[in-house]
Order: sequence, then structure tokens, then C-alpha cells
Amino acid sequence: MYKLLLAGIFAVVLPAGCFPLPDEPPEEGGPTNVNARFIVEKVSISGPGSSPKLSEPLRTELGQVAGQNFDQTLLDRLAERIKNELHVPDVSMHVTKSDTPDHVIVTFEIGTEREKRFDLDLARFLYHSKQGWSGQGHATININNNAFSFGMVSDGDQLAERYAGIQAGYERRHVGTDRLQLRFDFASYHEQWNEASLLLAAPDDIYRTRTSFSPMATVLILDPLELSFGVDFARYRLSLPVAKTESSNAVVSTLRYHQRWGSARSDRGEHDLRASYTLRAGTHLLEGDAVFSRHQSQARYRFRRGRQELAVGFLAGTISGQAPLFERFVLGNAETLRGWNKYDLDPLGASHVAHGSIDYVYRSFLVFYDSGAAWDRPDQREQKQSLGVGCKKGGFQLAVAFPVRAGAVNPVFYAGMNF
Amino acid sequence: MMRRRTIKTWWVIAAFISGLAFALAAEDLILSTQDNRLEFAAPRLHFLVGKPLERLRNAAEVSFAFHITLFSGNQTHKLKETASRFVVSYDLFEETFSVTKLVTPRRTARHLTNISAEAWCLREMSMDVSGVGVKEPLWARLEIRAEDTKDGGLPFGRGNITDSGISLTSLIDIFNRPPAVTQAHFNVETGPVTLDELRHSR
Repeated sequence: MYKLLLAGIFAVVLPAGCFPLPDEPPEEGGPTNVNARFIVEKVSISGPGSSPKLSEPLRTELGQVAGQNFDQTLLDRLAERIKNELHVPDVSMHVTKSDTPDHVIVTFEIGTEREKRFDLDLARFLYHSKQGWSGQGHATININNNAFSFGMVSDGDQLAERYAGIQAGYERRHVGTDRLQLRFDFASYHEQWNEASLLLAAPDDIYRTRTSFSPMATVLILDPLELSFGVDFARYRLSLPVAKTESSNAVVSTLRYHQRWGSARSDRGEHDLRASYTLRAGTHLLEGDAVFSRHQSQARYRFRRGRQELAVGFLAGTISGQAPLFERFVLGNAETLRGWNKYDLDPLGASHVAHGSIDYVYRSFLVFYDSGAAWDRPDQREQKQSLGVGCKKGGFQLAVAFPVRAGAVNPVFYAGMNF
Repeated sequence: MMRRRTIKTWWVIAAFISGLAFALAAEDLILSTQDNRLEFAAPRLHFLVGKPLERLRNAAEVSFAFHITLFSGNQTHKLKETASRFVVSYDLFEETFSVTKLVTPRRTARHLTNISAEAWCLREMSMDVSGVGVKEPLWARLEIRAEDTKDGGLPFGRGNITDSGISLTSLIDIFNRPPAVTQAHFNVETGPVTLDELRHSR
């Protein structure tokens, strides 16, 4: 009989073991996360280059979380804001028990972008109604912090000439330390010249082909300030009846600053400031034919909040000595004095330049104003202005620009991406 | 004589236990009846595993959408369906689970092991089968999907939870969409079985 009783017990206990009852009767109300009763003891951020770039308001908010009850929604929101401010692919949150009872420690871990083994990108694409098509594409292979790239380019926008050819590069992103990078660039171009340029140029100014090799090192001095230095060896074949090759070998130094803070979604908005100063000095010491020094300062500040974006740009430069044409400053393209034709302004570029621009974007609607001057002699200095409207979405831009001048209005139309 | 009777009793016990064990092992979804309610159990199905469990152990709450469909006929006629949402969290200090059923009013069970938390959810999914023929062959399908609460911090997204509770339509709509590749989801089925068989097997 006791065995039948045992069987009965089995029959009851076994299913009960599979489907145990809760320890206490169901209750109502209260937070759904049982950890909401714990106090956050400390909030920290881990990962590469994290805390220095956070805005003051966000740092304050993170500090205020300590001492409060664990609130997953709030912490998720803060993680999202950190991600937006630092522009990193991911921010994960880790919560651990503290040594103090009922206290937890929250750590936001900054994720790094996963390196793509193979990357194909259209670095630049542009149609300009006065200058035609320009395009640049690259294929990059990444192998253990080494990047090998190969690209093709045809550009009629940036320089006085149209240059088309191949580019190849090697980059080592960490040389012993994260603060040092090495880069080697090689390019080989064929040049095409506009009639206006040919009319003005001296016979030994015009070249048919150009090759360059440029080893450069970049040192991160103090985040976000970095210094690049190296040499640019350029050789170009002149368009003379007797083939002659000249060289322009220059020492190159660039001091670069890029800081971004805030978030476009916050009330204070996102601020992005880029500034650089570049010195290129062509010297006989490197056995170059051209002796010159070229100074260029550039700055761009961008503010974004919600659907609005305001960008202010500035460019100034000067060349002393005899620099080849590809070193000279050009205004009147898709980035400077938009609306003007560079061949009407300075078909051979200029040795001095000053330029400023203001762009305002609401949603995708773009308006801009450019003003600048390019000159060789002080008496040639004449300020030009232009206005334009268009649409801008992500890297894509389509606009029509008008030169501000008396007489016939001859607008310039351009469309493209990443320029 | 005495010896023969003892062996027979043990044989019955062994048959019962092995039958029960076989039943548990053979079926992922086990049905039983209590008055006019059909109850569900799935002791072999564990949804507090993998990514959801990883998130739970990181103090996050994880929401699970449950959907049970009862079919009749040749498994083609949808007889009844019920859906519910459960929010599970893991107490970092006690190392126990807490489950809240998102109904109005809310129902919560605390201090549970992972097994008992899973079982509690399924027990809460019982279904009224009054009006269903006792001889009618039935099939049951259970679907469970883990939801990421990162989007806005609200389980199952904004707009689904109102003052009057959770929109059942939106909940059933969830199961009309295929699960995302990264979404943890579980399906188990059983049948055919009649209510008569279930009542007699108790």
C-alpha cells in the first residue's frame, strides 16, 4: 500500500518540480525591473578616447545618475547620447554588483568600429556646368592595421588644370603607438588645360603629365590636435617641343585640429570645428627645380540642431617664390565662390587667396553665400561674391549658384556627392 | 504469492513513471485541463537563455511576447488564440528572476528560478475552452519571442501600451510578422488531442 502512496507522491511531486509555484502570490503595480530598487553607486566610461570629448551637460547628467535608483530607460537614453556625441558605432552598458549592499556600478563601454577587410568607395563625384564631370574612387584592403588603397581620379574642379590618372597608397595606422601613423601616396596623372589657361600661361608653365610620391607621418600631439610632416616629390613633363621633365620637391607640414561636441538632437546642438595650417616648402635641398613656400590656413565650423545646419568656412593662403601651377590657389569651383567660373576669374590660379562662405540648411533646403578674392599682385585684388540655393541630403548636394555682379547673370549648376 | 504481488506493484509504478517521463520527453508542449481552462506546460522549452539571459544578467529587463493558438479539424481551423506579454528581470544580488505579466491590473511573481519563471509565464497563458467539443481533435502551438526594449525603453515599442493595458491586436500582429534574424524566438506544438483524453489522463 505504501508503494502505491509512493507512486501517488511521485505523480504529484514530479510535475510540481517541473512547474514550481512562485514563492509568493502574484502582486500588482511597481516597476517591472526588479533592479530598480538598487542605487547606482558609480557611473564610468571605458573604451578608447571616451570621456574627453563628452559635452559638459552630458557629463553633469552622468554624474547625477550616481546616488539615484537604477533606471534602465534613463541609462539607455544616456548610452544613446554618448553614442551620438562621440560618433561611435556602439555604446554598451554593463551593470555589476557593488561591494556595498543594494548598490550597483554602471559602466558604459565605447565600441570601436570593426575594420572592413575590403572597402570600395566613391570618394568624390561631381558635375559642374562649367567644368564638367569629376570623380574619384578607391578600393582599400585592410590587413592588420595596414591599409592598401588603389584609386582612379579625373578632376576638373579643384586645380587650374584637369588631372586624370591613378592613385595608390599605403597606410600604417599604428606605428608602435596609436599616436603615430605612416602613409605613402603615389599618383600619376595626365593633364588637360582649358583654352583660357593656355592663352595666359608661359610655355614652360604647362605640363602634360605629373607623378608624385609622398611619404608622410602623422603624430597625434594632443587629441584632437595632430601634426603631419613629410615630403612630396613631384615630377612633371613640360609641354615644350623638346621633352623636359622638372621636379618640385617640397617639405610638407600640416597642423590639424578637429573637435566635435554636443548632439544634433539635444537643445544645445552639435558643434564641429575643423582647422588646419599647411606649409609646403619647395627647396633645392631636395633637388627640386621649383623653390617656393606655400602657406594655407583653413577652418570650418559647423553647427547642427534638429533639422537646421549652419556652416561657416574660411580659407587664406599665400605663395612666395615660383611654384608650379598645381600648387596655386583656385577660386570659382564647387567649393569656393560657387557661381563663378574659375577660368573667368584666374585661369592659372593665384598666389594669394582669401575666401569665406556661409551655408545654411533647413531640412534639405540649402542657401549659401560665398565671398573671396584671389590675386598675384595687390592691385589685382578684387572681392567677388556669389549666392546660391539648392538641396543637400547627407553627402549629396544639388545647387544653382549665381555670381553677384552687374550685367548678365550666368548661373552655375552643380550636383554631386562628397565634395 | 506475496513475492508475485510485490513485483506487480513495482511494475505499475515503473510503468507510470516511465510513461510520465516518456510523455515529458516526447512532447515539448504539454496540455492539461482545469475545469473549463486549458493549461500549458513546456518543461523542455527554455527561453531564458542566450542573448536574453545575457541582457537579464546585465540588469536589463527583457520582454517576451507569448502567443498560443488552438487549432481544430485538420489543424487548419484556428479555434482560439491568446497572447500576452511578460517582462522578466534578474535580481543582481538575490540572483533570482522576477516576472510581470503586462495586463491590467499587473501580475508579478518574484524570487523565481529560471525554470519556475518560465513555468509561471506558461501557467498564465491558460485558455478558456468552454464550448469546445470534448471529442474534437485539437492542436496547440506556442510561440515565444523576446523583444528588445532598447527602443524607447518601452516593451514592444511605443503605442502598444495604453491606459487600458496592451493592445491585443498589436500583440497578435507581432506574430503575423516573421521574427527578426537577431530576435530570440521559440515555437513548440502538440496534438492531436481531445479534451476528453486530457480529462481522463489526469
